[in-house]
Amino acid sequence: MTAAVAQHTRRLQELGGGDAGQYGGKSTSLGELLAADIPVPPGFALSTTAFHAFIGEAGLKETISQAIAGRGAAADMDGMTAGARTISEAMRGASVPDTLRAELASRYAELAEATGVAEPPVAVRSSALGEDSQEATFAGQQETYLWVRGVQDLCDAVRDCWVSLYSPTAVSYRAQVGQAHEEAAMGVTVQLMVDAERSGVMFTCNPVTGDRSMVAINASWGLGLAVVGGEVTPDDYLVSKVTREVVRAHVHSKACEYVPDPSGRGTVRVDVAPERRDVRCLDEEALAALVAIGRRVERHFGSPQDIEWAIARGGGELPGDLFVLQSRPVTAVPKQASKQQAAGSAISLVMGTFGAGSAGSGTADSAGSDT
Amino acid sequence: MEGRTLVTATTSAFPSPYSIESVPGCEGWEEMYPYYARFDERRRETDENRFWFWNSMHFPVPMPAFDVICIDSPYQAVGSWQNRVFAVPPAMGIDYRIVNGYVYISGNPVTDPEKIAERAGFFQKRAGYYYENWDELYGKWRTKMEALIAELGELQVPDLPEYEPDDVAFGDDRNTAFYEVLDVYSRALRMGDLMWQHHFEFLLLGYGAYGTFVEFCKGHMPDIPDQHIAQMVAGIDVLLFKPDAELRRLARLAIETGVDGSFIEGRTPAEIDAELAQSDAGRSWLAELEKVKDPWFNMATGDGLNHYYCSWLDDPSIPYASLTGHIAALHAGEEIERPTETIERERDRLAQEYGELLDEEDRKPFQDLLDLSRTVFPYVEEHKFFCDYWFLTRWWNKIREFGALLAEHDFLHDAEDVFHLSRHEVACALDELVLSWATGGQALGPEYWPPIVARRNEILERFAGWSPPPALGVTPAAITDPMTIMLWGVTTERVREWARQQDGGRELNGAAASPGTVEGLARVVRSVTEIGDIREGEILVCGSTSPAWAPIFSKIRATVTDVGGVMSHAAIVCREYGLPAVVGTGRASSQIRTGQMIRVNGTEGIVTLLDGDQAQ
Repeated sequence: MTAAVAQHTRRLQELGGGDAGQYGGKSTSLGELLAADIPVPPGFALSTTAFHAFIGEAGLKETISQAIAGRGAAADMDGMTAGARTISEAMRGASVPDTLRAELASRYAELAEATGVAEPPVAVRSSALGEDSQEATFAGQQETYLWVRGVQDLCDAVRDCWVSLYSPTAVSYRAQVGQAHEEAAMGVTVQLMVDAERSGVMFTCNPVTGDRSMVAINASWGLGLAVVGGEVTPDDYLVSKVTREVVRAHVHSKACEYVPDPSGRGTVRVDVAPERRDVRCLDEEALAALVAIGRRVERHFGSPQDIEWAIARGGGELPGDLFVLQSRPVTAVPKQASKQQAAGSAISLVMGTFGAGSAGSGTADSAGSDT
Repeated sequence: MEGRTLVTATTSAFPSPYSIESVPGCEGWEEMYPYYARFDERRRETDENRFWFWNSMHFPVPMPAFDVICIDSPYQAVGSWQNRVFAVPPAMGIDYRIVNGYVYISGNPVTDPEKIAERAGFFQKRAGYYYENWDELYGKWRTKMEALIAELGELQVPDLPEYEPDDVAFGDDRNTAFYEVLDVYSRALRMGDLMWQHHFEFLLLGYGAYGTFVEFCKGHMPDIPDQHIAQMVAGIDVLLFKPDAELRRLARLAIETGVDGSFIEGRTPAEIDAELAQSDAGRSWLAELEKVKDPWFNMATGDGLNHYYCSWLDDPSIPYASLTGHIAALHAGEEIERPTETIERERDRLAQEYGELLDEEDRKPFQDLLDLSRTVFPYVEEHKFFCDYWFLTRWWNKIREFGALLAEHDFLHDAEDVFHLSRHEVACALDELVLSWATGGQALGPEYWPPIVARRNEILERFAGWSPPPALGVTPAAITDPMTIMLWGVTTERVREWARQQDGGRELNGAAASPGTVEGLARVVRSVTEIGDIREGEILVCGSTSPAWAPIFSKIRATVTDVGGVMSHAAIVCREYGLPAVVGTGRASSQIRTGQMIRVNGTEGIVTLLDGDQAQ
């Protein structure tokens, strides 16, 4: 593809932090990870211009402003839900502009060429503006389409991501934070699919205690949907960053998993065979590999990260087997640690232990700071 | 702060100390312990409203009557330093009581703020002096301890001869045996007291400095394993490693001089010695071993403040087993030396990496506390060797010598029986013994003491089959006594755990997903279509949540789910909203009913069903 034709898309590795405003947080952070040699499945990103082109060409601007005009207050949930539905239906009825379709086809062909598969499966995800910023994270407010094959399905999935911008949840969230609906836009990330045998989430701190010397890992069988969606109680590991020691390994019964649909398109939720449910899904070696990657990602971004990862089934189209699918800063890390013990001289801290500190406070039961 | 008193609760998870029945067949057991060690009716009002925990760390087995001295002396000593010398502001000393042979303890708090402030003045000055001059003071301490151990070694328990030697008649300043026996016994007791006094001189301050470092690390890195903290502080060249280092050297020597063949697994130390004694090489190896024994064989065979534990000198089976093991390892080509360089590198790497994980402003206190901990740590480790092992094993043996003297004169069947008498009873028996020796009259002791010993022996055997509850009395709202936390690791969490074990099915455990504790009415929601039913201030109880549930999180006070980990949707959203959450309880939505009063502790991952009696 020549640069002249690429109006709305870029390869992930061509993105950097400055592109977040156009491509969204997810795509740009993946670009940064690739630049830092973190294993990320290859792919490309759609700019917000693609979204605007779609809205413009399909004549949807009017529909949007009419459907939710003046619905700023969070109180009117029913009205907002109805408006959101109207917009979604109109969007689904429209198709992706031809120029954009051609551009997507060309990008998709690059992935096909790289893998040697005619219609390689891809993951299509929303890459919302501001979604990944530390202030505005709202859990789960994002769309993902997995195991998408072929240009037509790709175009449909991209459009469906855009539709999610007007889901009732998203609309009510914007209303709550006082963001204008007309200004809403998003990027989209398209990546080669990892046929995950195991997957999950990793925090490069303990999200409950805020301990930055720990990496907390949740893992389950199959694609990450089950863990992220809270459909299984995943295996739960806590590993020391400093020594790679596994401080905690709670193995839970993992009753279901998401696997590629036998048709080759989409995913399907299946029961995990009873004998596999209680099997620990990450051994020490896999944990060590995850922690090593986690530390690199954290060092790159300079703050604790919330990372989605997957370990590919053997014999997939991708080399290696451990992949980072997404990384974003951990929000809401408890700060009780620094609060409870303000920096002071060593001797004054020791005096505090004996209840002879300047503030006269003893070793107040430190752990359970009730809110 | 609402004070450091152990807050009185109306109900307690633990039994009243006055409700504990004597173990069947042990009625009247109290007579073998001091009157002040009982839960006495005349102190009931106070004692029943305190929190007592079983000191299983120091007294894991039922106390023989004599061994009570190792409760009295340490608590006299620790209280003196803590309360009267350093005046630790919020905590005086430790009281103890005995129930069915087991020792329960409870700290005495200082609650008056003025008093605390007054004590803080003393503490800062006096403790500050110790920290500033630690190395010098500790050097003096070692000299004192070594002198005391030497003095104990010189203490001779005299015989009671038919006729006193000529010396007594013709020499100057000679004492008769009656005086010597009584004098040596009381000096032995006083030496024990002195050892305990030395034992606690540095202990509080040493543990306090180290404990502060531990707290600092855990405050900033709550999940740091204790082991890593210890590794950062621990000395490289530690006295307690010396005995085994000597054994490794002797193992090499045995191989070099060709006597290693005598060390065969299954042989007793006596059998090995006998074979070694038959060759020159063997005899010279034994001579080398003799040199090592003092002091390094003064290790104890176990931990605990009672007479059951002896030293390697008394029972060499442990060091001989080590020797045999080292020799076998050397033959197998294994490296048996402690890799001190690796340990040192790892210690520095841990300190550096943990330091780097901290915020800039926390790095200096971290380093200073680490340095202070490393300064005090030799004492923390070494006092055990000097006091608990070296002195105490020899001291018990000295008491055994008095037992032998009493047994020789039929006051006891066996020297070991002396431990069934209290120290005062032993003094009393010795009094009668020297009296009857002096007068030539008939002693009652041989009739009087053996039945008492037999009865107590039987009682202790029965006590050994009883399971003492972890705690007695009132459940404290929080443990705030720094000594209890520091020396016994008895924290609020630990006590809650104990209480939980007593409690039975009123609790659900799950992952501590979002910190904080609240109480409220439960709302069990089985699907997203029911979320409209939720009322302001209720606690959401459900299978799991998804983004579709978003609107309700501003209404509820906490969340409990059946499935999910600390990174599930419910957990993430609750942390965003600052709501306590316990996830992955397995059965909350089936166990809890809508409208039921529950407590969600998201810090520890516990959901408590409060319905009925406690709902207020």
